Amino acid sequence: MPDTTGEPVPAEKGQVQPQSASPDEEPRIGVYVCHCGDNIGDVVDCEQTAEALGKLGNVVVSRSYIFMCSDPGQKLITDDIKEKGVNRVVVGACSMFLHEQTFRQAVSRAGLNPYLYYHIGLREQDSWVHHECPEEATEKAIRLMSAGVAKARLMRPLEPVRLEAAKHALVIGGGVAGLRAALDMARRGLKVTLVEKTHFLGGRTAQWEHVFPTDEDARTLLRGLIEKVLAEPNITIHTGAEVVAAKGYVGDFQIRIRQQPRGVSDDFEAVEQAIAACPVEVPDEFDYGLTTRKAIYRPYEECTPAGVVIDWEHCTRCEKCLEFSNNGGIRLDDAPHEFEINVGAMVVATGFRPYEPPQGELGYGEFPEVITLPQLERILASDGPTGGRLEWNGHPIRNLAMIHCVGSRQIEGVHKPQPDGNVNDYCSRVCCTATLSAANQIREYFPDVNIFDVYEDIRTYGRGHEDYYLQASENRITFLRYVAEETPEGVKAQKGDQQPRLGRVKDHLTWGEEIELPVDLVVLAVGVMPSPVDDLVVVFKISPGHDRFLLEVHPKLRPVETAVTGIVLAGAAQGPMNIQESCAAAGAAASKVEGLLSQGRVELEPYVAQVDPERCQGTGECVRVCPQEDAIHLETFSVSGREVQRAVVTPANCNGCGVCVSACPNRAIDVQGWRLDDYEAMVDALTAEIPALEGVV
Amino acid sequence: MTAKERDEAKKQTEMLAALRKQHSDQVKQAQALLKEQQNVRKTLRGAMKAGPRTVPQLAEATGLPSAEVLWQVTAMKKYGLVIEEGLNEDYEYYLYALSEEVKR
Amino acid sequence: MSDNRLDVDTLVVGGGIAGMQASLDLADQGYQVALVERDPSIGGKMIGLSKVFPTLDCCSCITTPKMAAVAHHDNIPLLTYSEVESVASNKNGFVAQVLRKPRYVQEEDCTGCRSCELVCPIDLPDDENEFGRTSHRVIYVPFTTAVPQTALIDLDHCIYCGKCIKACPPDAIDFTQQPEHLEIEAKTIVLATGYEVTPYDAKKEYGAGKLGNVIDALMMERLLAPTGPYGRVLRPSDGKQPDSIAYVQCAGSRDLTLGVSYCSRVCCMYAIKQAMLLSGALPMADITIYYMDIRTFGKGYEQFYQNAKTMGIEFVKGKVARITEDENQNPVVRVELIDENSRVAERTHDLVVLSVGMLPGWNPQATFGVPVAEAGFIQIPDCNVSPTVTTQPGIYATGTAAGPMDIVDTIMTAGAAAAEAAAYMQNHKEQEPAVPEAAPAMRDKRSTVHA
Repeated sequence: MPDTTGEPVPAEKGQVQPQSASPDEEPRIGVYVCHCGDNIGDVVDCEQTAEALGKLGNVVVSRSYIFMCSDPGQKLITDDIKEKGVNRVVVGACSMFLHEQTFRQAVSRAGLNPYLYYHIGLREQDSWVHHECPEEATEKAIRLMSAGVAKARLMRPLEPVRLEAAKHALVIGGGVAGLRAALDMARRGLKVTLVEKTHFLGGRTAQWEHVFPTDEDARTLLRGLIEKVLAEPNITIHTGAEVVAAKGYVGDFQIRIRQQPRGVSDDFEAVEQAIAACPVEVPDEFDYGLTTRKAIYRPYEECTPAGVVIDWEHCTRCEKCLEFSNNGGIRLDDAPHEFEINVGAMVVATGFRPYEPPQGELGYGEFPEVITLPQLERILASDGPTGGRLEWNGHPIRNLAMIHCVGSRQIEGVHKPQPDGNVNDYCSRVCCTATLSAANQIREYFPDVNIFDVYEDIRTYGRGHEDYYLQASENRITFLRYVAEETPEGVKAQKGDQQPRLGRVKDHLTWGEEIELPVDLVVLAVGVMPSPVDDLVVVFKISPGHDRFLLEVHPKLRPVETAVTGIVLAGAAQGPMNIQESCAAAGAAASKVEGLLSQGRVELEPYVAQVDPERCQGTGECVRVCPQEDAIHLETFSVSGREVQRAVVTPANCNGCGVCVSACPNRAIDVQGWRLDDYEAMVDALTAEIPALEGVV
Repeated sequence: MTAKERDEAKKQTEMLAALRKQHSDQVKQAQALLKEQQNVRKTLRGAMKAGPRTVPQLAEATGLPSAEVLWQVTAMKKYGLVIEEGLNEDYEYYLYALSEEVKR
Repeated sequence: MSDNRLDVDTLVVGGGIAGMQASLDLADQGYQVALVERDPSIGGKMIGLSKVFPTLDCCSCITTPKMAAVAHHDNIPLLTYSEVESVASNKNGFVAQVLRKPRYVQEEDCTGCRSCELVCPIDLPDDENEFGRTSHRVIYVPFTTAVPQTALIDLDHCIYCGKCIKACPPDAIDFTQQPEHLEIEAKTIVLATGYEVTPYDAKKEYGAGKLGNVIDALMMERLLAPTGPYGRVLRPSDGKQPDSIAYVQCAGSRDLTLGVSYCSRVCCMYAIKQAMLLSGALPMADITIYYMDIRTFGKGYEQFYQNAKTMGIEFVKGKVARITEDENQNPVVRVELIDENSRVAERTHDLVVLSVGMLPGWNPQATFGVPVAEAGFIQIPDCNVSPTVTTQPGIYATGTAAGPMDIVDTIMTAGAAAAEAAAYMQNHKEQEPAVPEAAPAMRDKRSTVHA
């Protein structure tokens, strides 16, 4: 027979101690109805709501105010706690997502346990969705808040789960954002591990020649940043590495990393011979497919790390390179290895990829003379396929058209959707200035080249960006403007024409005339898309937005945080950004991580399962249904000389989902702060005849 | 009032008088502003006695520029002297009326 | 903290969203931050806005909690109505002389109850917060959500009637208050001195501020705010509820005649946002936006623009050449309609809003030795990689002091400036023990690369 004597079972380390509920304390509830400016107040009659709630039992004060979250609003609460002895607080306002923390802090400041406050969403749950029917919305506000009052009567003080935090951060991505974030955190004394999926640092910046708004050499910029990162003893870098599994929580994430071997040792010298010997040729992604490279390669000469690597996907193991291997300099039998690290927080800086137009979009993929802006940048680069000469397929370029917003600002029904069914309806932010910067550069180096710039809106928004636009006009670049639905076309030239390709555009700067541009090269200013991060989204349980970029919690309140505490975003993984913006975002991310980890401990919400050892009979149902790892297990205790099994919760691993509550046959488990009794009381209050409603609605 | 309180009140009156004397030019200007404001308010209150009025109606009745009327009415509304009473027939202008406080 | 001396890690200059965020980011890392704000309340320009793009959150809902967080943070001494007068360097960093302007009301005693304001007999145009559209009394609390909730007296218009003294419950009024001087020693400085908008009378083609129904966009923010002067949108000349409202974009940006070549970044989005809010507040009104290029470049911004189009807001490509008014004070806009064969048209509206641009708020050169670059914004030498680092070691710039930007970007740079300042202090802390033999070892040590 199971033991039911219910001797207290010792709590495990880290276990939340059930709070003494001070049962003698009579609930004295303060109710506060926020107008949220006009967001709630224009629909819900906040005064009436407050008045009605004031009539409920245990409510000692009930008020409405224009902005409860403002300092004077918070002061109403803190004063009532101090002066009127309010010991439970119910606020009806925006969503708790926005301001739960705000009010917890206020309540806490006044000396009350922060979990003796409950938040009712009157904006998203009521005024916004019922703005057509204010009377009913007012009734709903009263009902929702009376449910809050019912819960408040049962609330007990809670303490957050406090845990040690590893003062160690992981940065995913070795482009400018990741490098900058790593540097900022390391300079503050945090240990940083940076993983980069490719074998080289620098990301997309390395593929650019000059960067706006300074016109500085991108490689020099990058070298400076990488040098600083390499000089930082707190940083450990793994290239060719990616995260394959993760578990844990803020302060204590366990990350599994898989690293691909380079296949070539650092001191391998016969680089050129080995490359020459390799018979494999594949499109060189560094040149955006304009050229080819071998299966043993390096993206560019002064890359970091400096050596060459084996492209395992394309290497045929023909072993021709081994001829120069010289005592194992090249090792074709190297295997990937996996290892685990333990970090307190993570910065996701996985960056972007350029939009790849589908076959036929503006002639791309049909006519070789239609290329993308990143490809043009490679042509202009001194170490690019033409050594910096403006020529294509052996012909010098005389006339060039640049077309903006390819793969950006797309319209459903007009543009071909991405594989996930969505079009890129966003602006890619960086392409206008990048296009004009390239155009000006061409006019400077190749003054005989005519440039046509075909745009919808020129968005040279940033500091120094407009100068490129002004300069372009001075440089006699011809601007033609299309409107969204009438996108330009790439068409084939008439036979015998000098220029092989034409762009066709309906130009709204010249009265909507349809113009054909005789050009040798059409450059598509392609947009920015997030690097594929589907795997990370699954591993970390973070969310992409509708635009497929990773989503922040709130663009102003928590702009670099994801919904998972301890995982923050930096750079173009979050949305199109230029280098400057990526570096600023990386700094903000670093600040956030510092704020989380600098104290060496973190606090988690106390809403975790709690076992009543007197009721638990050790059936193990909870352990079977728990979807989390290591959140609940059975332990053997000796009670009155007998060995019994009892469920024990590891609060740090419990996410409070409550599945165990429903599975327990003995009703021995509850989620702290959200007990079954709370729900019952709330449902009763929602459906009750509320006397206070009389004469209100 | 105790003797002490009387004494303090007297001190305060003296202090204020001294300050007025010390800043006499500026005080004079402020007093002129106050007087003008009081006159304008009196005219506006008079024009609203018969019932709610729009800004153009008040401007016509008082001879004040309509922008000035709007400013005064807004100021009076802010401190509870005037209340807003919905739109006029053409749905173009709001009607303003004296608050109960002023009527009393 | 003694009465006239304060020792902190960072001095943050400016209590708008940039300064507040930088202060919070540093204070949350355990640094002591003195936040100095020139105005009587923190909140900056942002607290005066109605709703914010692209989420349409009510602005107070974002700003006021940050203001409260700053005010109550254990690590942030807050000095409002104060100005940094001069700064000197010493071996530990900087020593700033700060002037605390008298409010003539004791900050510690005032509860913000406004009893004084209610009895004060004189109304003054509220130029600081409401562009003169409404009033405050000679003694007043700056605005409903001000932090601190402390009254101040505009002595220039006071008649010393003493009514406020009698009305004040905690006896907080003090006509004898004098300016005070405070010395703040700090290891680092963050400049968050913000922006001003193009003066709305700057352009004579647009009426030079003399047309009664031509206002600027910040004024429109107040008209749209629930705490605004009229509590609704009325045009200022006569209180008419406008049926036709037009926005003139780039009214102070990308305009070489005003000496402003740059784009102010925020005007397209705020105009679209205001247009959306107006179509909610005045469902029958026609709203037109005259623009050159629509620059909705931020995250979610283009989608916001497209939504506005489907809501029926009219976007007209054309540069507004001139604004005049008809006999009923209706503004008349003369515009070249580029999409209609560049035909020149004159269109009459009830109210015109100038989408004014951002100008630098303050030149820190004289006080902080931090030079400004083109257009008067703070010079950032390595702007790509270190977008908040000025030419002066230990001094950082954030927000619009370093160029036009919106709130989202401002908050990012505030975090970045905090990271820079923190790193600088950490570095100096490590150097402080000055163990010479340890230094070379440090230098030899480098990051570990596992390639």
